[in-house]
Amino acid sequence: MNRALPLLAAPVAFFVAFFAVPMIVVVSSSLMAGGVPSLGNYARVLLDQYHWDVLAATFRIAGLTTAACALLGYPLAYYLVRVVKSRALRRTCVILLVLPLFTSNIVRSFGWMVLLGRNGLVNDALVGAGILDRPMRFLGTELGIVIGLVYILLPFIVLAVGNALAAVDPALEDASSDLGATPFDTFRTVTFPLCLPGLMSGIVMVFTLAVSAYVTPALLSGGKITVFPMLIFQQYSTVFDVNYGGALSMTLLVMTLVLVGLAGWIGNAGADAKGRAAR
Amino acid sequence: MSDALLSIRSIDKHFGAYHALRDVSLDVAHGEFVALLGPSGCGKTTLLRCIAGFLSPDSGTIRIGGEDVTRLPPHRRPLNTVFQHYALFPHMSILDNVAYGPRRHGVARGEALERAREALELVGLDSAAGRFPRELSGGQQQRVALARAFVNRPKLLLLDEPLSALDLKLRKRMQIELKHLQEKLGIAFVFVTHDQEEAMSMANRIVVMNRGVIEQVGDGRTIYTSPASRFVADFIGEANLLPGTAEGDAGVRLGVGAALLPHLGADARQRYTAVLRPEHVELLDQPEAPGLITDQGFVEDVIDTGGQTVVTVRVGEHLLASRRLGMAGKGLNPGAPVFVGFRPGHVHLIAEPAPHRSGP
Repeated sequence: MNRALPLLAAPVAFFVAFFAVPMIVVVSSSLMAGGVPSLGNYARVLLDQYHWDVLAATFRIAGLTTAACALLGYPLAYYLVRVVKSRALRRTCVILLVLPLFTSNIVRSFGWMVLLGRNGLVNDALVGAGILDRPMRFLGTELGIVIGLVYILLPFIVLAVGNALAAVDPALEDASSDLGATPFDTFRTVTFPLCLPGLMSGIVMVFTLAVSAYVTPALLSGGKITVFPMLIFQQYSTVFDVNYGGALSMTLLVMTLVLVGLAGWIGNAGADAKGRAAR
Repeated sequence: MSDALLSIRSIDKHFGAYHALRDVSLDVAHGEFVALLGPSGCGKTTLLRCIAGFLSPDSGTIRIGGEDVTRLPPHRRPLNTVFQHYALFPHMSILDNVAYGPRRHGVARGEALERAREALELVGLDSAAGRFPRELSGGQQQRVALARAFVNRPKLLLLDEPLSALDLKLRKRMQIELKHLQEKLGIAFVFVTHDQEEAMSMANRIVVMNRGVIEQVGDGRTIYTSPASRFVADFIGEANLLPGTAEGDAGVRLGVGAALLPHLGADARQRYTAVLRPEHVELLDQPEAPGLITDQGFVEDVIDTGGQTVVTVRVGEHLLASRRLGMAGKGLNPGAPVFVGFRPGHVHLIAEPAPHRSGP
């Protein structure tokens, strides 16, 4: 026991220094106004309809991003893990997938600003292909922000789902097929339920990252759309009101936790119902 | 055999340059218990996966009940499989695992659960219906896998080394249970194993495979007493393999023993491998014994395992193992001179293929 203590001390100290203390600082500062303890900051946040509108936009963008990531990422992960037979090709695909994570968000978001502009590559292609009559506005719309976020967050969900898929024993799918299940039935009743935990963790990861994203929305919003992290950034960097900024941060954190918890609960209930239906 | 349940005709299978199955043909009758026996890499699992439909042979046909299933996907073949590591669905209860097959065949849920319960009762696990696979022991999971495979009432059940993950005692018990179950259900079993004792104790017919080729098909007794090849003789049980050369009608001269082995009709100079089981080699205290071919040698090694003793004797350049019941090794020390003898009738001769001639 005693010998385990020093081993335990390092991670505990790390956790305290980098997670617990900053959190306590933010929480305590959010509960101070004008040098005295007060709930005034929270009243300012919660009683203002503007904040609720921004919160709604933030969660709408994050929700759409997450849905798009899941819909694109799942087939991509399935393709990488199950369809690609060559090990070299799979490794190349994974590297291509992860490589953008090594460059800065700012650079990549600027890239999208160029691509999504009125005379950008995307509009040129869409008009050229006859899909659009005239260029569409992406910059300064929620769609533009969603496109940028999906691009940045897609690898997370592909990796999470890919790991879960790779962990599904192929013998289980053989067994399902052997017992008379069509390939689609096998996917619906065996493969998908077994990698659902991986998909859920990917969804939670993408959603929380999308909710807290600052750079991409800031660059692609063109000043026309505000998401919550921008409000927080303003308070800390330009207004220097750490108390009010802290209250904004805590509000976003709590709301996100509530939503993620709610989604997890609904997901579990849904998985149970789906499992029952399959039986 | 047009009335065979399973009829495999000259199938071949390659994995890249590796030739996994070479011109394999096999018939399995209704209700038969057939063991595919061979060392790892002999192609027995490949053959099983071809029958189940997980692999597609390069050429040849597989028929089940007269219907050509060679190109059918697994879910459309009228058979079921017990997998080596059971492959139970971890996210479903035991009952749902077993009911999975009937459900996929369009049986209503209530009816499917009823059938699953009956199947579980048959393997003595009806009390575990509500539990999950991870809560069961290896032996119990094995039974669930069995119940799940036969609940569809297939005519043919494939078993891929189903007992290999169990410990020895449990394995012995499951062998007996499996044999009884097979007789009770009347389903034909094709059972893959690398354990020759397991194959001998359970199967009506044993298919010995080596390097993608069927070496011999026969009941356990035939395969043990009259192995068709040197490989079979060596793989099934223990064997003393001795060289033999025909000396016209006089008989065959073995590497051991002064007398010729009577053997009629042999070509002069035909070469043989003589198979002599250790239990047929007797240790004598005099140089001659009536009806035995005898020789003199020296004790090389004595291994006493309580129930039986194996004495290895060096006779000339050959080693001859003799298995005796009980603690028979008393007084036999390495280096001691000893006489060995065996009955000519116990020697099984395998003709060596004629040496290749280089052109006419």
